[in-house]
Amino acid sequence: MISYFKRALSDFIRHRFLHGVCTATIALSVFIISAFTLFFVNAGALMNTWQKGIRVIAYLEPGVNQGARKALIQRIKAFDGVEDVVFISRQKAFSWLKKEIGRQSSLLEGLEDNPLPDSLEIKISRSALNVKDIEYLASRIKTFNAVNGVEYARKWLARFKGVYDLFRITGIILVTMVFIAIMFIVANTIRLILFSRREEIEITRIIGADEEFIRNPFYIEAAMLGFLGGITGITLLFISFALSMPTISPSGILPFFTIRFIPPAAGIAIVISSVIVSWMGCYFSIRRFLHM
Amino acid sequence: MDIKPDKHEKMETRASRKKKSVIGFFNVCKFYGESDAIVDVSFTISKDDFALITGPSGAGKSTVIRIIYMGETISSGSVIVDGMNLLRITRPQVPLLRRKIGVIFQDFKLIPSKTVFGNVALVLEAAGVRSKNIIHDKVMSVLETVGIGDRAASYPPTLSGGEQQRVAVARAMVGEPKIILADEPTASLDPEAADAIYQLLQDVHARGTTVVVTTHDLNLLEKGGTRVIHLKSGRMVSIVNQDVWNGL
Ligand SMILES: Nc1ncnc2c1ncn2[C@@H]1O[C@H](COP(=O)(O)OP(=O)(O)OP(=O)(O)O)[C@@H](O)[C@H]1O
Ligand SMILES: [Mg+2]
Repeated sequence: MISYFKRALSDFIRHRFLHGVCTATIALSVFIISAFTLFFVNAGALMNTWQKGIRVIAYLEPGVNQGARKALIQRIKAFDGVEDVVFISRQKAFSWLKKEIGRQSSLLEGLEDNPLPDSLEIKISRSALNVKDIEYLASRIKTFNAVNGVEYARKWLARFKGVYDLFRITGIILVTMVFIAIMFIVANTIRLILFSRREEIEITRIIGADEEFIRNPFYIEAAMLGFLGGITGITLLFISFALSMPTISPSGILPFFTIRFIPPAAGIAIVISSVIVSWMGCYFSIRRFLHM
Repeated sequence: MDIKPDKHEKMETRASRKKKSVIGFFNVCKFYGESDAIVDVSFTISKDDFALITGPSGAGKSTVIRIIYMGETISSGSVIVDGMNLLRITRPQVPLLRRKIGVIFQDFKLIPSKTVFGNVALVLEAAGVRSKNIIHDKVMSVLETVGIGDRAASYPPTLSGGEQQRVAVARAMVGEPKIILADEPTASLDPEAADAIYQLLQDVHARGTTVVVTTHDLNLLEKGGTRVIHLKSGRMVSIVNQDVWNGL
Protein backbone atom coordinates (compact mmCIF):
# COMPACT_ATOMS: atom_id res chain seq x y z
CA MET A 1 0.00 0.00 0.00
CA ILE A 2 2.76 2.42 0.95
CA SER A 3 4.66 1.58 -2.20
CA TYR A 4 1.51 2.27 -4.23
CA PHE A 5 1.33 5.65 -2.54
CA LYS A 6 4.94 6.33 -3.41
CA ARG A 7 4.38 5.40 -7.02
CA ALA A 8 1.24 7.52 -7.14
CA LEU A 9 3.12 10.42 -5.65
CA SER A 10 5.99 10.18 -8.11
CA ASP A 11 3.44 9.98 -10.92
CA PHE A 12 1.81 13.06 -9.52
CA ILE A 13 5.07 14.92 -9.68
CA ARG A 14 5.80 13.60 -13.13
CA HIS A 15 2.48 14.81 -14.49
CA ARG A 16 2.39 17.92 -12.34
CA PHE A 17 1.14 20.21 -15.07
CA LEU A 18 -1.72 17.92 -16.04
CA HIS A 19 -2.54 17.28 -12.42
CA GLY A 20 -2.29 20.97 -11.63
CA VAL A 21 -4.83 21.82 -14.30
CA CYS A 22 -7.06 18.97 -13.18
CA THR A 23 -6.85 19.98 -9.52
CA ALA A 24 -7.64 23.58 -10.41
CA THR A 25 -10.69 22.51 -12.40
CA ILE A 26 -11.91 20.32 -9.57
CA ALA A 27 -11.24 23.16 -7.13
CA LEU A 28 -13.39 25.45 -9.23
CA SER A 29 -16.17 22.85 -9.37
CA VAL A 30 -16.00 22.27 -5.64
CA PHE A 31 -16.03 26.03 -5.16
CA ILE A 32 -19.32 26.18 -7.05
CA ILE A 33 -20.74 23.25 -5.13
CA SER A 34 -19.78 24.60 -1.75
CA ALA A 35 -20.98 28.10 -2.68
CA PHE A 36 -24.36 26.53 -3.38
CA THR A 37 -24.18 24.66 -0.13
CA LEU A 38 -23.33 27.88 1.67
CA PHE A 39 -26.37 29.52 0.18
CA PHE A 40 -28.70 26.67 1.08
CA VAL A 41 -27.37 26.18 4.56
CA ASN A 42 -27.97 29.84 5.28
CA ALA A 43 -31.28 30.14 3.48
CA GLY A 44 -32.44 27.06 5.39
CA ALA A 45 -31.27 28.50 8.68
CA LEU A 46 -32.96 31.77 7.89
CA MET A 47 -36.20 29.99 7.11
CA ASN A 48 -35.91 28.11 10.32
CA THR A 49 -35.52 31.20 12.41
CA TRP A 50 -38.45 32.73 10.62
CA GLN A 51 -40.56 29.69 11.07
CA LYS A 52 -39.68 29.47 14.71
CA GLY A 53 -40.75 33.06 14.97
CA ILE A 54 -44.14 32.41 13.50
CA ARG A 55 -46.67 33.26 16.04
CA VAL A 56 -50.16 34.41 15.71
CA ILE A 57 -50.67 37.53 17.75
CA ALA A 58 -54.21 38.23 18.88
CA TYR A 59 -54.73 41.82 19.98
CA LEU A 60 -57.35 42.08 22.67
CA GLU A 61 -60.12 44.66 22.94
CA PRO A 62 -59.36 47.16 25.65
CA GLY A 63 -60.86 46.32 29.00
CA VAL A 64 -61.15 42.57 28.74
CA ASN A 65 -61.06 41.33 32.29
CA GLN A 66 -58.90 38.61 33.69
CA GLY A 67 -61.63 35.98 33.86
CA ALA A 68 -62.68 36.46 30.25
CA ARG A 69 -59.05 36.43 29.25
CA LYS A 70 -58.35 33.12 30.98
CA ALA A 71 -61.37 31.55 29.38
CA LEU A 72 -60.26 32.81 25.98
CA ILE A 73 -56.76 31.40 26.49
CA GLN A 74 -58.21 28.01 27.38
CA ARG A 75 -60.36 27.95 24.27
CA ILE A 76 -57.54 28.97 21.99
CA LYS A 77 -55.28 26.36 23.54
CA ALA A 78 -57.84 23.74 22.60
CA PHE A 79 -57.36 24.43 18.87
CA ASP A 80 -55.31 22.04 16.80
CA GLY A 81 -51.79 23.17 16.17
CA VAL A 82 -51.62 25.55 19.11
CA GLU A 83 -48.70 24.81 21.32
CA ASP A 84 -48.92 27.55 23.86
CA VAL A 85 -50.65 30.81 24.51
CA VAL A 86 -48.92 33.54 26.45
CA PHE A 87 -50.54 36.71 27.67
CA ILE A 88 -48.51 39.82 26.97
CA SER A 89 -49.70 42.80 28.86
CA ARG A 90 -49.57 46.17 27.15
CA GLN A 91 -46.97 47.32 29.70
CA LYS A 92 -44.73 44.40 28.92
CA ALA A 93 -45.13 44.94 25.21
CA PHE A 94 -44.21 48.58 25.64
CA SER A 95 -41.07 47.80 27.60
CA TRP A 96 -39.99 45.28 24.95
CA LEU A 97 -40.58 47.79 22.27
CA LYS A 98 -38.40 50.26 24.11
CA LYS A 99 -35.68 47.71 24.49
CA GLU A 100 -35.81 46.65 20.87
CA ILE A 101 -35.67 50.16 19.60
CA GLY A 102 -32.85 50.74 22.03
CA ARG A 103 -30.70 53.70 21.21
CA GLN A 104 -33.32 55.10 18.99
CA SER A 105 -35.74 55.30 21.93
CA SER A 106 -35.88 59.00 21.33
CA LEU A 107 -38.48 58.00 18.79
CA LEU A 108 -40.72 57.01 21.65
CA GLU A 109 -40.12 60.11 23.68
CA GLY A 110 -43.00 61.88 22.09
CA LEU A 111 -45.33 59.14 23.25
CA GLU A 112 -46.72 59.86 26.66
CA ASP A 113 -49.15 56.97 26.66
CA ASN A 114 -48.51 53.39 25.86
CA PRO A 115 -50.10 52.95 22.45
CA LEU A 116 -50.02 49.15 22.55
CA PRO A 117 -52.94 46.91 23.37
CA ASP A 118 -52.86 43.75 25.51
CA SER A 119 -52.18 40.73 23.35
CA LEU A 120 -51.96 36.96 23.30
CA GLU A 121 -48.97 35.36 21.71
CA ILE A 122 -50.04 32.05 20.21
CA LYS A 123 -47.20 29.66 19.49
CA ILE A 124 -47.84 27.27 16.66
CA SER A 125 -46.63 23.71 16.95
CA ARG A 126 -44.11 22.75 14.27
CA SER A 127 -46.37 20.23 12.64
CA ALA A 128 -48.96 22.86 11.93
CA LEU A 129 -46.50 25.21 10.36
CA ASN A 130 -48.05 25.80 7.01
CA VAL A 131 -49.67 28.85 5.71
CA LYS A 132 -53.13 27.40 5.18
CA ASP A 133 -53.42 26.06 8.69
CA ILE A 134 -52.23 29.30 10.16
CA GLU A 135 -54.68 31.27 8.07
CA TYR A 136 -57.49 29.02 9.20
CA LEU A 137 -56.44 29.29 12.84
CA ALA A 138 -56.21 33.05 12.63
CA SER A 139 -59.68 33.31 11.13
CA ARG A 140 -61.09 31.21 13.96
CA ILE A 141 -59.40 33.30 16.62
CA LYS A 142 -60.68 36.46 15.01
CA THR A 143 -64.25 35.38 15.66
CA PHE A 144 -63.93 35.79 19.42
CA ASN A 145 -65.48 38.97 20.71
CA ALA A 146 -62.58 39.77 22.97
CA VAL A 147 -60.22 39.72 20.01
CA ASN A 148 -59.78 42.92 18.19
CA GLY A 149 -57.42 41.81 15.50
CA VAL A 150 -55.04 39.05 14.48
CA GLU A 151 -51.61 39.32 12.99
CA TYR A 152 -49.37 36.62 11.57
CA ALA A 153 -46.63 36.06 9.10
CA ARG A 154 -48.18 36.45 5.75
CA LYS A 155 -47.92 35.00 2.34
CA TRP A 156 -44.37 36.14 1.80
CA LEU A 157 -43.21 33.32 3.99
CA ALA A 158 -44.99 30.78 1.85
CA ARG A 159 -43.62 32.45 -1.21
CA PHE A 160 -40.15 32.44 0.20
CA LYS A 161 -40.47 28.78 0.98
CA GLY A 162 -41.71 28.12 -2.55
CA VAL A 163 -38.75 29.94 -4.03
CA TYR A 164 -36.43 28.22 -1.63
CA ASP A 165 -37.77 24.78 -2.59
CA LEU A 166 -37.43 25.58 -6.27
CA PHE A 167 -33.89 26.77 -5.72
CA ARG A 168 -33.16 23.66 -3.80
CA ILE A 169 -34.26 21.37 -6.60
CA THR A 170 -32.24 23.29 -9.18
CA GLY A 171 -29.40 23.38 -6.69
CA ILE A 172 -29.41 19.64 -6.25
CA ILE A 173 -29.49 19.12 -10.01
CA LEU A 174 -26.69 21.60 -10.49
CA VAL A 175 -24.53 20.12 -7.77
CA THR A 176 -25.08 16.66 -9.24
CA MET A 177 -24.08 17.94 -12.65
CA VAL A 178 -20.95 19.58 -11.28
CA PHE A 179 -20.00 16.34 -9.53
CA ILE A 180 -20.50 14.49 -12.81
CA ALA A 181 -18.30 17.11 -14.44
CA ILE A 182 -15.61 16.36 -11.87
CA MET A 183 -15.92 12.69 -12.74
CA PHE A 184 -15.38 13.45 -16.41
CA ILE A 185 -12.45 15.72 -15.68
CA VAL A 186 -10.71 13.03 -13.66
CA ALA A 187 -11.64 10.31 -16.15
CA ASN A 188 -10.12 12.40 -18.90
CA THR A 189 -6.97 13.18 -16.95
CA ILE A 190 -6.45 9.53 -16.13
CA ARG A 191 -7.16 8.63 -19.74
CA LEU A 192 -4.47 11.02 -20.90
CA ILE A 193 -1.99 9.53 -18.45
CA LEU A 194 -2.91 5.98 -19.42
CA PHE A 195 -2.45 6.93 -23.03
CA SER A 196 0.89 8.62 -22.51
CA ARG A 197 2.08 5.63 -20.54
CA ARG A 198 0.64 2.74 -22.50
CA GLU A 199 4.07 1.43 -23.41
CA GLU A 200 5.26 1.61 -19.85
CA ILE A 201 2.11 -0.19 -18.72
CA GLU A 202 2.66 -2.84 -21.37
CA ILE A 203 6.24 -3.35 -20.20
CA THR A 204 5.10 -3.56 -16.60
CA ARG A 205 2.67 -6.27 -17.61
CA ILE A 206 5.29 -8.25 -19.49
CA ILE A 207 7.55 -8.34 -16.46
CA GLY A 208 4.78 -9.98 -14.46
CA ALA A 209 2.84 -7.21 -12.77
CA ASP A 210 -0.78 -7.98 -12.03
CA GLU A 211 -3.58 -5.59 -12.82
CA GLU A 212 -3.84 -4.43 -9.24
CA PHE A 213 -0.22 -3.39 -9.25
CA ILE A 214 -0.83 -1.37 -12.38
CA ARG A 215 -4.16 0.13 -11.40
CA ASN A 216 -3.79 1.01 -7.75
CA PRO A 217 -1.48 3.97 -8.24
CA PHE A 218 -3.99 5.45 -10.66
CA TYR A 219 -6.79 5.10 -8.14
CA ILE A 220 -4.64 6.74 -5.51
CA GLU A 221 -3.76 9.50 -7.95
CA ALA A 222 -7.41 10.09 -8.76
CA ALA A 223 -8.33 10.16 -5.09
CA MET A 224 -5.52 12.61 -4.47
CA LEU A 225 -6.84 14.82 -7.27
CA GLY A 226 -10.32 14.75 -5.76
CA PHE A 227 -8.98 15.45 -2.29
CA LEU A 228 -6.66 18.28 -3.29
CA GLY A 229 -9.27 19.84 -5.56
CA GLY A 230 -11.91 19.53 -2.85
CA ILE A 231 -9.78 21.09 -0.15
CA THR A 232 -8.61 23.86 -2.46
CA GLY A 233 -12.15 24.65 -3.59
CA ILE A 234 -13.47 24.90 -0.06
CA THR A 235 -10.49 26.91 1.06
CA LEU A 236 -11.08 29.31 -1.83
CA LEU A 237 -14.68 29.69 -0.80
CA PHE A 238 -13.68 30.26 2.78
CA ILE A 239 -11.23 32.95 1.77
CA SER A 240 -13.75 34.73 -0.41
CA PHE A 241 -16.34 34.31 2.34
CA ALA A 242 -14.04 35.78 4.96
CA LEU A 243 -13.15 38.65 2.64
CA SER A 244 -16.68 39.49 1.62
CA MET A 245 -18.45 38.96 4.94
CA PRO A 246 -17.59 42.33 6.46
CA THR A 247 -19.08 44.04 3.42
CA ILE A 248 -22.30 42.05 3.49
CA SER A 249 -23.01 41.72 7.15
CA PRO A 250 -23.61 45.21 8.47
CA SER A 251 -25.54 46.31 5.44
CA GLY A 252 -28.70 45.62 7.32
CA ILE A 253 -30.36 43.35 4.82
CA LEU A 254 -30.68 40.70 7.48
CA PRO A 255 -30.20 42.44 10.78
CA PHE A 256 -30.91 39.57 13.12
CA PHE A 257 -29.23 36.89 11.12
CA THR A 258 -25.55 36.12 10.85
CA ILE A 259 -24.46 34.36 7.68
CA ARG A 260 -22.37 31.39 8.60
CA PHE A 261 -19.85 29.37 6.65
CA ILE A 262 -20.82 25.81 5.68
CA PRO A 263 -20.64 23.52 8.70
CA PRO A 264 -17.54 21.31 8.94
CA ALA A 265 -19.61 18.17 8.34
CA ALA A 266 -20.88 19.56 5.03
CA GLY A 267 -17.34 20.55 4.06
CA ILE A 268 -16.05 17.08 4.85
CA ALA A 269 -18.96 15.53 2.95
CA ILE A 270 -18.15 17.64 -0.11
CA VAL A 271 -14.46 16.66 -0.02
CA ILE A 272 -15.34 12.98 0.44
CA SER A 273 -17.81 13.16 -2.43
CA SER A 274 -15.17 14.80 -4.57
CA VAL A 275 -12.77 11.97 -3.74
CA ILE A 276 -15.39 9.30 -4.47
CA VAL A 277 -16.44 10.91 -7.73
CA SER A 278 -12.80 11.22 -8.82
CA TRP A 279 -12.25 7.61 -7.96
CA MET A 280 -15.25 6.70 -10.11
CA GLY A 281 -13.88 8.74 -12.99
CA CYS A 282 -10.65 6.80 -12.70
CA TYR A 283 -12.58 3.55 -12.55
CA PHE A 284 -14.38 4.29 -15.81
CA SER A 285 -11.19 5.28 -17.61
CA ILE A 286 -9.43 2.16 -16.40
CA ARG A 287 -12.36 -0.01 -17.40
CA ARG A 288 -12.36 1.52 -20.82
CA PHE A 289 -8.71 2.05 -21.64
CA LEU A 290 -6.75 -0.45 -19.60
CA HIS A 291 -7.95 -3.69 -21.09
CA MET A 292 -5.42 -6.34 -21.83
CA MET B 1 10.75 -14.02 -5.94
CA ASP B 2 9.89 -17.34 -4.50
CA ILE B 3 9.00 -19.91 -7.05
CA LYS B 4 8.88 -23.14 -5.18
CA PRO B 5 10.39 -26.07 -6.95
CA ASP B 6 7.92 -28.70 -8.03
CA LYS B 7 7.70 -31.68 -5.76
CA HIS B 8 7.80 -33.87 -8.81
CA GLU B 9 10.89 -32.20 -10.04
CA LYS B 10 12.80 -33.21 -6.94
CA MET B 11 11.89 -36.82 -7.27
CA GLU B 12 12.90 -37.05 -10.86
CA THR B 13 16.18 -38.65 -11.79
CA ARG B 14 18.82 -36.51 -13.37
CA ALA B 15 18.34 -38.16 -16.70
CA SER B 16 14.67 -37.57 -16.94
CA ARG B 17 15.15 -34.07 -15.63
CA LYS B 18 17.51 -33.33 -18.41
CA LYS B 19 14.90 -34.22 -20.94
CA LYS B 20 12.07 -32.43 -19.21
CA SER B 21 10.51 -30.06 -21.66
CA VAL B 22 9.70 -26.62 -20.31
CA ILE B 23 8.19 -25.29 -23.49
CA GLY B 24 6.07 -27.33 -25.84
CA PHE B 25 4.32 -26.19 -29.00
CA PHE B 26 1.85 -28.65 -30.46
CA ASN B 27 0.40 -27.88 -33.89
CA VAL B 28 0.21 -24.21 -33.08
CA CYS B 29 -1.30 -21.76 -35.53
CA LYS B 30 -1.63 -18.02 -35.16
CA PHE B 31 -3.67 -15.98 -37.61
CA TYR B 32 -4.02 -12.26 -37.86
CA GLY B 33 -7.22 -11.99 -39.81
CA GLU B 34 -6.42 -13.43 -43.21
CA SER B 35 -2.65 -13.61 -42.82
CA ASP B 36 -1.05 -16.35 -40.83
CA ALA B 37 1.92 -15.60 -38.61
CA ILE B 38 2.70 -19.21 -37.78
CA VAL B 39 1.18 -22.38 -39.11
CA ASP B 40 1.20 -25.82 -37.52
CA VAL B 41 4.35 -25.32 -35.50
CA SER B 42 5.39 -28.10 -33.13
CA PHE B 43 8.55 -28.33 -31.06
CA THR B 44 9.70 -28.80 -27.52
CA ILE B 45 12.42 -27.04 -25.60
CA SER B 46 14.02 -28.79 -22.61
CA LYS B 47 15.05 -27.29 -19.36
CA ASP B 48 18.71 -27.45 -20.24
CA ASP B 49 18.32 -26.00 -23.70
CA PHE B 50 19.81 -22.90 -25.14
CA ALA B 51 17.38 -22.76 -28.03
CA LEU B 52 17.74 -20.67 -31.13
CA ILE B 53 14.76 -19.79 -33.26
CA THR B 54 15.91 -18.64 -36.65
CA GLY B 55 14.41 -17.64 -39.92
CA PRO B 56 14.11 -14.68 -42.24
CA SER B 57 12.14 -11.57 -41.45
CA GLY B 58 8.43 -12.30 -41.12
CA ALA B 59 9.06 -15.95 -40.38
CA GLY B 60 7.11 -15.79 -37.14
CA LYS B 61 9.97 -15.75 -34.63
CA SER B 62 8.64 -12.87 -32.57
CA THR B 63 5.20 -14.40 -32.68
CA VAL B 64 6.54 -17.59 -31.09
CA ILE B 65 8.18 -15.56 -28.33
CA ARG B 66 5.03 -13.55 -27.69
CA ILE B 67 2.96 -16.70 -27.50
CA ILE B 68 5.26 -18.14 -24.84
CA TYR B 69 4.84 -15.20 -22.48
CA MET B 70 1.18 -14.85 -23.43
CA GLY B 71 1.61 -11.52 -25.11
CA GLU B 72 -0.46 -13.20 -27.78
CA THR B 73 -3.04 -15.96 -27.74
CA ILE B 74 -2.91 -18.78 -30.21
CA SER B 75 -5.54 -19.50 -32.85
CA SER B 76 -5.28 -23.26 -32.59
CA GLY B 77 -3.12 -26.03 -31.20
CA SER B 78 -1.77 -26.01 -27.70
CA VAL B 79 1.18 -24.64 -25.82
CA ILE B 80 2.65 -25.85 -22.55
CA VAL B 81 5.01 -23.64 -20.58
CA ASP B 82 6.50 -25.02 -17.39
CA GLY B 83 3.65 -27.44 -17.02
CA MET B 84 0.98 -24.83 -17.57
CA ASN B 85 -1.41 -25.25 -20.47
CA LEU B 86 -1.65 -21.74 -21.82
CA LEU B 87 -5.14 -22.30 -23.16
CA ARG B 88 -6.32 -22.96 -19.64
CA ILE B 89 -4.66 -20.04 -17.97
CA THR B 90 -7.07 -17.48 -16.62
CA ARG B 91 -6.30 -13.82 -16.83
CA PRO B 92 -5.28 -13.43 -13.20
CA GLN B 93 -2.81 -16.29 -13.69
CA VAL B 94 -0.99 -14.61 -16.56
CA PRO B 95 1.24 -12.52 -14.24
CA LEU B 96 2.19 -15.72 -12.41
CA LEU B 97 3.30 -17.26 -15.69
CA ARG B 98 5.22 -14.13 -16.62
CA ARG B 99 7.11 -14.15 -13.34
CA LYS B 100 8.63 -17.44 -14.46
CA ILE B 101 9.83 -15.82 -17.65
CA GLY B 102 12.25 -13.00 -18.31
CA VAL B 103 11.93 -11.32 -21.69
CA ILE B 104 14.54 -9.36 -23.63
CA PHE B 105 13.64 -7.38 -26.75
CA GLN B 106 15.51 -5.98 -29.66
CA ASP B 107 14.43 -2.47 -28.72
CA PHE B 108 15.20 -3.02 -25.00
CA LYS B 109 11.78 -1.81 -23.81
CA LEU B 110 13.13 -0.01 -20.79
CA ILE B 111 11.06 2.62 -19.03
CA PRO B 112 12.80 5.90 -19.81
CA SER B 113 11.46 7.76 -16.80
CA LYS B 114 12.86 5.24 -14.35
CA THR B 115 16.49 4.82 -13.43
CA VAL B 116 18.39 1.69 -14.35
CA PHE B 117 17.89 0.56 -10.78
CA GLY B 118 14.17 1.40 -10.91
CA ASN B 119 13.70 -0.52 -14.15
CA VAL B 120 15.19 -3.67 -12.69
CA ALA B 121 13.60 -3.24 -9.26
CA LEU B 122 10.16 -2.99 -10.83
CA VAL B 123 10.22 -6.72 -11.51
CA LEU B 124 10.63 -7.49 -7.83
CA GLU B 125 8.12 -4.84 -6.76
CA ALA B 126 5.56 -6.25 -9.17
CA ALA B 127 6.21 -9.71 -7.79
CA GLY B 128 5.32 -8.42 -4.36
CA VAL B 129 8.77 -8.18 -2.76
CA ARG B 130 8.40 -5.67 0.06
CA SER B 131 11.80 -5.48 1.63
CA LYS B 132 13.81 -2.57 0.28
CA ASN B 133 17.01 -4.24 1.37
CA ILE B 134 16.28 -7.42 -0.50
CA ILE B 135 15.35 -5.45 -3.59
CA HIS B 136 18.46 -3.34 -3.35
CA ASP B 137 20.77 -6.28 -2.88
CA LYS B 138 19.27 -8.36 -5.65
CA VAL B 139 19.14 -5.51 -8.14
CA MET B 140 22.69 -4.38 -7.43
CA SER B 141 23.88 -7.94 -7.66
CA VAL B 142 22.41 -8.51 -11.12
CA LEU B 143 23.58 -5.11 -12.28
CA GLU B 144 27.10 -6.11 -11.23
CA THR B 145 26.69 -9.41 -13.01
CA VAL B 146 25.87 -7.70 -16.30
CA GLY B 147 28.61 -5.15 -15.69
CA ILE B 148 26.74 -1.91 -15.19
CA GLY B 149 26.63 -1.64 -11.43
CA ASP B 150 28.04 1.87 -11.70
CA ARG B 151 25.15 3.08 -13.87
CA ALA B 152 22.39 2.17 -11.43
CA ALA B 153 21.29 5.77 -10.98
CA SER B 154 21.37 6.66 -14.68
CA TYR B 155 18.34 6.90 -16.91
CA PRO B 156 18.17 4.51 -19.88
CA PRO B 157 18.20 7.21 -22.58
CA THR B 158 21.63 8.30 -21.35
CA LEU B 159 23.08 4.84 -21.91
CA SER B 160 24.46 3.27 -25.07
CA GLY B 161 22.49 0.55 -26.79
CA GLY B 162 24.79 -2.13 -25.43
CA GLU B 163 24.39 -0.80 -21.92
CA GLN B 164 20.63 -0.58 -22.26
CA GLN B 165 20.49 -4.16 -23.39
CA ARG B 166 22.57 -5.14 -20.35
CA VAL B 167 19.92 -3.45 -18.21
CA ALA B 168 17.29 -5.46 -20.03
CA VAL B 169 19.24 -8.65 -19.36
CA ALA B 170 19.52 -7.69 -15.71
CA ARG B 171 15.80 -7.05 -15.61
CA ALA B 172 15.10 -10.43 -17.17
CA MET B 173 17.39 -12.16 -14.68
CA VAL B 174 16.51 -10.43 -11.44
CA GLY B 175 13.38 -12.44 -10.73
CA GLU B 176 15.37 -15.67 -11.12
CA PRO B 177 13.00 -16.95 -13.80
CA LYS B 178 13.07 -20.46 -15.17
CA ILE B 179 13.02 -19.24 -18.73
CA ILE B 180 14.61 -16.29 -20.47
CA LEU B 181 13.26 -15.31 -23.86
CA ALA B 182 15.29 -12.98 -26.03
CA ASP B 183 13.78 -11.68 -29.25
CA GLU B 184 16.65 -10.57 -31.49
CA PRO B 185 18.56 -9.26 -28.50
CA THR B 186 21.62 -8.32 -30.49
CA ALA B 187 20.09 -7.08 -33.71
CA SER B 188 20.43 -3.40 -32.92
CA LEU B 189 23.87 -3.64 -31.35
CA ASP B 190 27.34 -3.40 -32.82
CA PRO B 191 29.21 -6.73 -33.02
CA GLU B 192 31.19 -6.12 -29.86
CA ALA B 193 28.17 -5.28 -27.73
CA ALA B 194 26.29 -8.12 -29.38
CA ASP B 195 29.00 -10.56 -28.36
CA ALA B 196 28.87 -9.32 -24.80
CA ILE B 197 25.12 -9.75 -24.60
CA TYR B 198 25.34 -13.16 -26.15
CA GLN B 199 27.97 -14.12 -23.62
CA LEU B 200 25.71 -12.95 -20.80
CA LEU B 201 22.91 -15.12 -22.11
CA GLN B 202 25.22 -18.09 -22.22
CA ASP B 203 26.27 -17.38 -18.62
CA VAL B 204 22.64 -17.29 -17.57
CA HIS B 205 22.10 -20.57 -19.35
CA ALA B 206 25.12 -22.07 -17.66
CA ARG B 207 23.50 -21.29 -14.32
CA GLY B 208 20.53 -23.45 -15.17
CA THR B 209 18.06 -21.17 -16.90
CA THR B 210 16.35 -22.22 -20.08
CA VAL B 211 17.19 -19.65 -22.73
CA VAL B 212 15.33 -19.10 -26.00
CA VAL B 213 16.84 -16.65 -28.47
CA THR B 214 15.46 -15.64 -31.84
CA THR B 215 17.75 -14.38 -34.52
CA HIS B 216 18.04 -13.96 -38.23
CA ASP B 217 21.79 -13.66 -37.83
CA LEU B 218 23.20 -16.91 -39.07
CA ASN B 219 26.53 -16.07 -37.47
CA LEU B 220 24.94 -16.66 -34.12
CA LEU B 221 24.33 -20.24 -35.10
CA GLU B 222 28.02 -20.83 -35.14
CA LYS B 223 28.22 -19.82 -31.53
CA GLY B 224 26.07 -22.76 -30.75
CA GLY B 225 22.84 -23.56 -29.16
CA THR B 226 21.58 -26.88 -28.04
CA ARG B 227 18.54 -26.73 -30.22
CA VAL B 228 17.85 -24.79 -33.38
CA ILE B 229 14.36 -24.26 -34.66
CA HIS B 230 14.19 -22.92 -38.16
CA LEU B 231 11.06 -21.15 -39.34
CA LYS B 232 10.12 -19.77 -42.71
CA SER B 233 6.88 -17.94 -43.54
CA GLY B 234 5.38 -19.18 -40.32
CA ARG B 235 6.16 -22.83 -40.94
CA MET B 236 8.71 -25.09 -39.29
CA VAL B 237 11.46 -25.91 -41.70
CA SER B 238 13.60 -27.92 -39.35
CA ILE B 239 14.41 -28.57 -35.76
CA VAL B 240 17.92 -29.65 -35.01
CA ASN B 241 19.34 -30.87 -31.75
CA GLN B 242 22.80 -30.11 -30.57
CA ASP B 243 24.25 -33.54 -31.19
CA VAL B 244 23.04 -33.57 -34.74
CA TRP B 245 24.13 -30.02 -35.26
CA ASN B 246 27.62 -30.69 -34.05
CA GLY B 247 27.83 -33.64 -36.30
CA LEU B 248 26.97 -31.68 -39.43
N1 LIG C 1 -0.13 -7.72 -34.77
C1 LIG C 1 -0.06 -8.23 -36.00
N2 LIG C 1 -1.05 -8.02 -36.89
C2 LIG C 1 -1.01 -8.54 -38.12
N3 LIG C 1 -0.01 -9.29 -38.56
C3 LIG C 1 1.01 -9.54 -37.75
C4 LIG C 1 1.05 -9.03 -36.42
N4 LIG C 1 2.19 -9.45 -35.84
C5 LIG C 1 2.84 -10.18 -36.75
N5 LIG C 1 2.14 -10.23 -37.89
C6 LIG C 1 2.53 -10.97 -39.10
O1 LIG C 1 2.93 -12.24 -38.72
C7 LIG C 1 4.06 -12.64 -39.46
C8 LIG C 1 5.16 -13.06 -38.52
O2 LIG C 1 5.59 -11.93 -37.76
P1 LIG C 1 6.77 -11.96 -36.71
O3 LIG C 1 6.90 -10.62 -36.13
O4 LIG C 1 6.55 -13.09 -35.80
O5 LIG C 1 8.01 -12.26 -37.64
P2 LIG C 1 9.56 -12.27 -37.25
O6 LIG C 1 10.06 -13.61 -37.65
O7 LIG C 1 9.72 -11.87 -35.84
O8 LIG C 1 10.14 -11.18 -38.20
P3 LIG C 1 11.34 -10.17 -37.92
O9 LIG C 1 12.58 -10.91 -38.13
O10 LIG C 1 11.15 -9.11 -38.96
O11 LIG C 1 11.15 -9.66 -36.53
C9 LIG C 1 4.47 -11.50 -40.32
O12 LIG C 1 3.99 -11.75 -41.63
C10 LIG C 1 3.72 -10.33 -39.76
O13 LIG C 1 3.33 -9.46 -40.77
MG1 LIG D 1 10.61 -10.20 -34.84
